[in-house]
Amino acid sequence: MSTLPLQQTRGFWFSEWAFPIFVATLASGIFAGTHLYYVYHIGAFNDIAIVAMLEAGIKGGSYGAAAAFGASFLFARVLEGPLVGILDIGGSLQTGIGIGVPALMLGAGITAPLTSFPLALLTGAVLGYAIGAVIILIRKFTINSSQSTFGADIMMGAGNAAGRYLGPLIIISAIMASIPVGIGATIGGGIFYHYKKPVAGGAIIGAMILGAIFPIAAQ
Amino acid sequence: MVTLLIIFKSLIIGALVGFGVGAGAARMFHAPNVQGMGAFRTFGELNACAGDPISHFSFGLGFLFNSWASVVGAGALTQDVDHRILPNWAAAALLWKNKNVEETLHNPKRMAIAGAIIGAVVVTILNSTAAAIPVSMQMVATKVLVPAANWLINPIMPIVFWMAAMDAGRRTGVWGTVLGGLSHLVMGNAVPGIVLGILIGKGVDDSGWDRITKTLVTAVVLLFVLSGFFRGFDAAFLHSINVEVPQWLIDLHKMFGSAVK
Repeated sequence: MSTLPLQQTRGFWFSEWAFPIFVATLASGIFAGTHLYYVYHIGAFNDIAIVAMLEAGIKGGSYGAAAAFGASFLFARVLEGPLVGILDIGGSLQTGIGIGVPALMLGAGITAPLTSFPLALLTGAVLGYAIGAVIILIRKFTINSSQSTFGADIMMGAGNAAGRYLGPLIIISAIMASIPVGIGATIGGGIFYHYKKPVAGGAIIGAMILGAIFPIAAQ
Repeated sequence: MVTLLIIFKSLIIGALVGFGVGAGAARMFHAPNVQGMGAFRTFGELNACAGDPISHFSFGLGFLFNSWASVVGAGALTQDVDHRILPNWAAAALLWKNKNVEETLHNPKRMAIAGAIIGAVVVTILNSTAAAIPVSMQMVATKVLVPAANWLINPIMPIVFWMAAMDAGRRTGVWGTVLGGLSHLVMGNAVPGIVLGILIGKGVDDSGWDRITKTLVTAVVLLFVLSGFFRGFDAAFLHSINVEVPQWLIDLHKMFGSAVK
């Protein structure tokens, strides 16, 4: 999905070996976020429904659901990441490292990595680095050892094209939410388009302004 | 004291998370030549804002209220912090001064640094303020942005990627269609499957059935089989065609800690 000439995508920030470091920092933060949740009941990097699975275990129930859910997501995403070129952080890190691994540890009676902040950071970093390294290793044996670009240009085109749909989608969604918010989103989108800005941005601002004046009814 | 401790820890956590998210998001724009990290939806949404700082900022802001309410109510930050708020705000901060996306949004170094600063601020604010969240703002996020973003993920992105695969030649189209359908069944979204289809189709177009493309296909088959198993697709499939799930399969699932009916 790159439009840059090849020599500009070199160096540390684009390199293969830097990738595990980026995964390590992100995983370290996410795992420490689960530490915050375990100790202070705040700051887990996941959606309420998924955090609730971990909470079920903490409250004395079984960690089985959280562990199985997290581990299977982690596994699938680690295999998928190197093949498609994008590691999905929602499944692999936020659910896998942030929920699945803590559930496995707590289920086995290991609490130290979750009660100690430095240990949480370290655990996350080590796990993240390992995941990053596995991904780079899989890449080496698949797409990296070939001359083909594997349709990078096609994916770039599709990625760009998909983004254009969001503006109209927000306006339609706003109209379905309420009349004032719909009018706000329509006008906002129109103004943004006139000034050659993305429709999505204007639609959100319009929806928020009208939504603040005429709140959407909660069902 | 507890609040101070939470603030201190949140600053570190936010900076670490933002750093990784920023670098990973910028690298997504160079995939598959460079391994990226984020999500297809993040990639699509970043593209939707087209390098306009106000759009990136307002998109992130829309989800901030939702995350805020969630963390105050249940202690869960939501996945949107990493998927939407941090990458879009890091992009907005960089694009404010320089409108050239290749030097900003697509640059892992700048995105990592901007992400770290914004991550530290956002995560700390979210974790430390139990202030009342404007409910009307939160409703805009849940009633307007969430449905729109869900439509983008399904069915818009699958369709757009599908069309691109079919327009790229017969082989890519066939692989994209088959793997896309299977991926929607097994993984819940067709996009990863279509991307794999493009990968295999173009790989074979360019270099034929060599060791690499064969390894690729093997890895893809493995991915589908194991994803299907771990997400309980096998049992769900047997259920839907009115076949009793054999006991050994239930036991096999139990061995890996997951329960199937």
